[in-house]
Amino acid sequence: MTSAESCTVLESCALVAPVTALEFLRDDYLLTGEGPILTLFSLEGSPRLRASQNVLQNFRIHGIRPKPQTRHDAHDAKPNPDQPTSDEITELAIFGGKGLRLINVSPCGRGLEVAGPLMELQDWVLDVSWLMDEPCPLLGVSIAHNAAILLEPQSGKVLSLCSCAEACLLYSALLIGQSWEESVLVGGTVFNQLVLWRPGRTGTGRQCQAGTQACALTDAQVERRLLGHSGVIFSLFYLQSSGWLASASDDRSVRLWHVGELSGSGGCGVEVPTCLRVLYGHQARVAGEDGACLLWEWEGEGRVGRTLKSHRSGGIRSLAVSNASVGKRSRWVATGGADGGVRLWKVVEQSTNSELKVEVEKEDSQMYLGFEGIGCPKVVRSVGGGHTVVTCTDQGQVSMRQDGSWKEIWHGGPDFQSYCVMEVVCIQGVWVCAVGNLNGGVQVFPLRQPGGGTFLQASEGKIHSLQWVERRIGACSRGSWCLLASGSEGLVQRWTVEVAENEETGLFLVLRKMTPFLLPPCAKQWLTAAVTVTIHSGKKKVLWVCGDRRGSLLLYKDEKEKSQRESVQEEDTQESVVGINAPIPAVATLFGVHGKQGVTSVCERRGVCYSTGRDGCVRVLALNKDSLNVRRVHHACKGMDWLEKVLFLDYSEKGTFFEARFLMAGFHSVEFVLWDPIRQEKVFTAACGGGHRSWAYIPSSGDQTLEQGTLIFIKQGTIMASRSLASSTTEIRGHTLREGLHGRGLACVCRLGELSKPGDSSEKWEVLVTGGEDTTVNVLAVRPDQGTVKVLAVIADHISNVRTLAAVPRGAKGDETNGRCRDMSFSTLVFSAGGRAQLQCYRLLIGWDEQTNLPTCQVTQIAGHRLDEKWERRRNRHKTVKMDPETRYMSMAVVQDGVEEVLLALACSDGAVRIFSVGEDSRKVELLWESFYHQRCVLSVASYSLEDIYGKTVNGAVALWDLTAVLDSKSGDSWLGPSVPCLSVPVHQSGVNALVISKQRHQQTPDDIITMATGGDDGQLSVMKIKVEMNQSDQTESLCPQLLSHWSVPLAHSAPLTALTTLSSARWASASPDQRVCVWRLCDDGLHHQGAMFTHTADAAGVWAWQREGANIQGGAYVVVCGQGLQLLKTKEIERRKVVFGDRNKQKM
Amino acid sequence: MGRSSKDKRDIYYRLAKEEGWRARSAFKLLQLDEEFNLFKGVSRAVDLCAAPGSWSQVLSRKLRGKESNEDVKIVAVDLQAMAPLPGVTQIQGDITKISTAQEIIRHFEGQSADLVVCDGAPDVTGLHDVDEYIQAQLLLAALNITTHVLKPGGNFVAKIFRGKDVTLLYSQLKIFFSSVTCAKPRSSRNSSIEAFVVCQNYSPPEGYVPNMSNPLLDHSYDVDFNQLEGPNRIIVPFLACGDLSAFDSDRTYPLQLDSSKEYQYLPPTQPPIRPPYQKACHLRRNNLLAKEDSASVLPDDALSAMSLDSKQETDTAASGSR
Repeated sequence: MTSAESCTVLESCALVAPVTALEFLRDDYLLTGEGPILTLFSLEGSPRLRASQNVLQNFRIHGIRPKPQTRHDAHDAKPNPDQPTSDEITELAIFGGKGLRLINVSPCGRGLEVAGPLMELQDWVLDVSWLMDEPCPLLGVSIAHNAAILLEPQSGKVLSLCSCAEACLLYSALLIGQSWEESVLVGGTVFNQLVLWRPGRTGTGRQCQAGTQACALTDAQVERRLLGHSGVIFSLFYLQSSGWLASASDDRSVRLWHVGELSGSGGCGVEVPTCLRVLYGHQARVAGEDGACLLWEWEGEGRVGRTLKSHRSGGIRSLAVSNASVGKRSRWVATGGADGGVRLWKVVEQSTNSELKVEVEKEDSQMYLGFEGIGCPKVVRSVGGGHTVVTCTDQGQVSMRQDGSWKEIWHGGPDFQSYCVMEVVCIQGVWVCAVGNLNGGVQVFPLRQPGGGTFLQASEGKIHSLQWVERRIGACSRGSWCLLASGSEGLVQRWTVEVAENEETGLFLVLRKMTPFLLPPCAKQWLTAAVTVTIHSGKKKVLWVCGDRRGSLLLYKDEKEKSQRESVQEEDTQESVVGINAPIPAVATLFGVHGKQGVTSVCERRGVCYSTGRDGCVRVLALNKDSLNVRRVHHACKGMDWLEKVLFLDYSEKGTFFEARFLMAGFHSVEFVLWDPIRQEKVFTAACGGGHRSWAYIPSSGDQTLEQGTLIFIKQGTIMASRSLASSTTEIRGHTLREGLHGRGLACVCRLGELSKPGDSSEKWEVLVTGGEDTTVNVLAVRPDQGTVKVLAVIADHISNVRTLAAVPRGAKGDETNGRCRDMSFSTLVFSAGGRAQLQCYRLLIGWDEQTNLPTCQVTQIAGHRLDEKWERRRNRHKTVKMDPETRYMSMAVVQDGVEEVLLALACSDGAVRIFSVGEDSRKVELLWESFYHQRCVLSVASYSLEDIYGKTVNGAVALWDLTAVLDSKSGDSWLGPSVPCLSVPVHQSGVNALVISKQRHQQTPDDIITMATGGDDGQLSVMKIKVEMNQSDQTESLCPQLLSHWSVPLAHSAPLTALTTLSSARWASASPDQRVCVWRLCDDGLHHQGAMFTHTADAAGVWAWQREGANIQGGAYVVVCGQGLQLLKTKEIERRKVVFGDRNKQKM
Repeated sequence: MGRSSKDKRDIYYRLAKEEGWRARSAFKLLQLDEEFNLFKGVSRAVDLCAAPGSWSQVLSRKLRGKESNEDVKIVAVDLQAMAPLPGVTQIQGDITKISTAQEIIRHFEGQSADLVVCDGAPDVTGLHDVDEYIQAQLLLAALNITTHVLKPGGNFVAKIFRGKDVTLLYSQLKIFFSSVTCAKPRSSRNSSIEAFVVCQNYSPPEGYVPNMSNPLLDHSYDVDFNQLEGPNRIIVPFLACGDLSAFDSDRTYPLQLDSSKEYQYLPPTQPPIRPPYQKACHLRRNNLLAKEDSASVLPDDALSAMSLDSKQETDTAASGSR
């Protein structure tokens, strides 16, 4: 058989793995190690990728050591930071695991080239140092068993090996020194100690002859021992100029030791090393698990200088600090995350007496703005985008701070005392202020000329709020401004406001009253937010979206102007009866969607509405002619329940119907926070004291990220700023060099489809969905030819980890308004399920964003369901113990894909198999059927021909269920289903982790033949062929499955087989925590091992394969593996000699 | 969630508390014994990396029986102190030291052990390759001390991570034991990469001299017998053990298992003794960690000598992730 002689070659296309090594080359370049791949970024201008190469094959890069260009004088205590110029080749020693390799960086950072073979050492490498004082530069290598090796770098020849008398395992080590004989090894032992010893000082020295491999010398003695840590030592650093040693430990502390001069004449340093500082500040272990990088101030007696917070849940895996170059006050700090992301920070140091100190200025603590005026400031607003601040006090005084001093603008009479609301707006270049009082009066005036103001009587009772709303017709045209004043009894008065200028009196305002709006009746009947949206349904039409204190979102329509009254049918009959000035009621209401604490803001971007509320949610709203639909709900971080606004990150107004990138502004306990929903981190915090205060956030000019702004707020009766308004330079700037994924493990992956760039079909992106332990679902776009991975959307609705995903394609019905996007977009229904028995359903629309020139994704939430929802609603639940099991959903399969509803089978950890129906239009999830037949944790489920599902249990049995009854009884009230499976086969010794069914039909026979492949915890791969017949005895039809044949490879992997996918008919790809991806083929004579590849995705949990477009069926497919990261592989068929693997135990039943 | 949620997620955790085991891992050894009859005829047993002591508890209960059998000798070795157990001699020592091996033999009055068990796991870093390597080194260290104390024909049971280089460990163990099996007790979660190697019939290569001064170094991949990616790999048989009707460690059970018995929350049998994170957790709980405006309350008296010149230069802070 020729087919059996083919084999499959796998090749990596893209990898996201923890960033385990980082190193700067001067100030100009950053090197990162991600898995075995070394990447070079240039930092000049805007940081960008220069080159990337796999250098360590199956080892992960743990360290990058550039060779010092100039030889130092060993006796010069102060190393001479002679910066090599960038037009020279830089040699690098790259190590990780047992591997070590030399790599050259081409002049001017043009690229990376391999400078030697991959050396495999006998033991794990912890540190490598260039010994420059040797006749020719040698490499000193410290290894995990408390030993050091002297290496000739080019040949990889071991010149000397010296172990310490204390032969214990090290978690970390440092080799310090310029020559082997004088070098000192600092080891962080498994016994929580630091040991210092000299590898070059033992016995005969290093009279090693070329012939001998390595000469065994007498073991060196430990010369210094530093005790104090109560956990193993993860990381070490030595600062030569001050003789300090820093150690980071499992006990979550960093200790700073004075050890004096190590190596050279100093030997092992001072006789009695002292511990200078014990620094506790990390929330988790100093390996960076809390995702924070702390800059400690030496001067501050152990204060944290600055916290650089980044990387989603997985934490930081690597850190590098660049050398401060002469004449520059800043240096780079880079952090690499377990999420595969790389962040770069610029840290400015203050120089005093020409000595540099790592100290971030203290001036960025909060400062008073020195408010002087009558009364207590109640409202604060920023004016003009700069640092001009306007405030209104409880004495009715409006003051402005300009150039550091306050001046009174306007002072209201006694009417404006004890209560005021104020809003400012810029109309035609003039800032206009509106102040409302307790008696329904509103004063509107230009700030430049308060005398040109107008007084309006808006209401009988107090003015609850004022809103300035821009009313625009069309996206580009400049609109007119409206002032909304919410008075008593839910009446919202409206005026259009224009600024005019008169040569005699100067500025004056032209106000025209509009028909008021009427809020729906409720206890707190006042307006909190309003915006206008133009929709294009035939003709352009302005709609008003408002939010009220009750948490409702309301949709209003302007009454038609006389001239536009064309269609009489649309005319509301009621309106003509009550007359033109009767208040307009809402057309549509989403009652109380934002909870009882109310809506805080609504805004519009590209035709999509965004509302925030004090329920901690941002709601993305889609508008129709007269309906308001919530497309998606974004939650901020846990505990951040008071959202105030969304701040958009992209400034372009035009563009597609896709969601804009935004930050959420709100209060998290006592802090004001800007939360990034994609990066899932706080990008700005200011301890302002929490909610119930007026604030203004001023982004620094030219800062696209909005992270460097200033918060102006009222605290304890005075106005404060989160930092000095005068300092225009920012001390710390964050850049994202590479976006991270989930951080913690990825549990499942699913491919949605492929998208090409419009007009350039060679640029293809594969769109994937992943779910992870960090409880998020990510939508990714991967470009296989370049290995680029982009996060398109992050969905954070799950409250526990996401374990399984399913997707069914849908026609791109999406938004009909943008028909031009249809040919280059596609739509999918995605289901995610996981811990706490939670099931979510989304409609994703993937398209191309011409602005960013990248794929983009629009998420519509369809439905969510939890088994224990009833429990969550119980009031006394804190008093009672919840007796139900905390069920997890382990696996999911689509049983039936109907137009109205999709049926899903879920494997549950409480031993049940459950069937749910999810209706897209009805937005409902219903439990149809459940069976506790298995009595074990059900691990996997798959469906076939829309009739049967297979449940698999921890016992290793596979059960086949006939669900025809369930599907047929849909119309009935009670769901009928089988109580026992129609076939149960023991396949594995323990859990069945993976299950796939090939949906091919036999052509010769009328019966269906199912090919079912399973992968078990025992590492076994099994393939079964099952014949399914319909038995038409009696009146009922019953399914009669027959096991035809059964092949297996008992030890397909040396670890549990955790994931399995069908490559093509009779070919499978399997993945396992042994980090191999294997391809198997079923032939007539058994299962054959077709090929394998080592993957850098540890803890492989999910795998997915699909045919490559344009490739022939036999060959080209993509396989994506997820686990601790993600790797995309490409398969190719080649001819090779036949390798038969695995025994065949065919059996007839 | 609450304190009972772990009882629901993990049935063996709950059972361990009910039956008075110090850790749920006790069930793993019991189930391994069910399959392999490990305790048959054993009178001298060693528990390496014993803390918190659940395996020593199993050895004590199973080997000594009810009428404390004086012929049975059990030695538990760990670096950390552990709460005492009846009939178990504790050695607080390092398993990489020859002195520890000698002390074990001394307790056995010069005789070798019949069974060595090791359920030790290292302090994990979260980086898979590092953790698997250190676990492998721990297993090799346990194997090394076992070669000093185990009698020929004796058995050795140790925890193993079924990770990327597990076949290298298998090949090493097969040098010393005629039968090596990878076993997974049903009480060990399906989702964890943990498994146990049951090495039976200790038969070291002829002329092998146990040597503690050099650590046993791990094997490497080669072309013929143990390939990195190819079909030739050393894989030992896999056996799932434990009664099929036993509880399922992956299943979530309701709190009320049995309608006749009311659920009652039980505290853990033996809380951890001085974990490394103790001080950090204490500071964190009491809001004493260093922040941007305050130093952490220095808890240590080791800071007496702080008279360093604070104007030290700090300009060459080149760093790496070490």
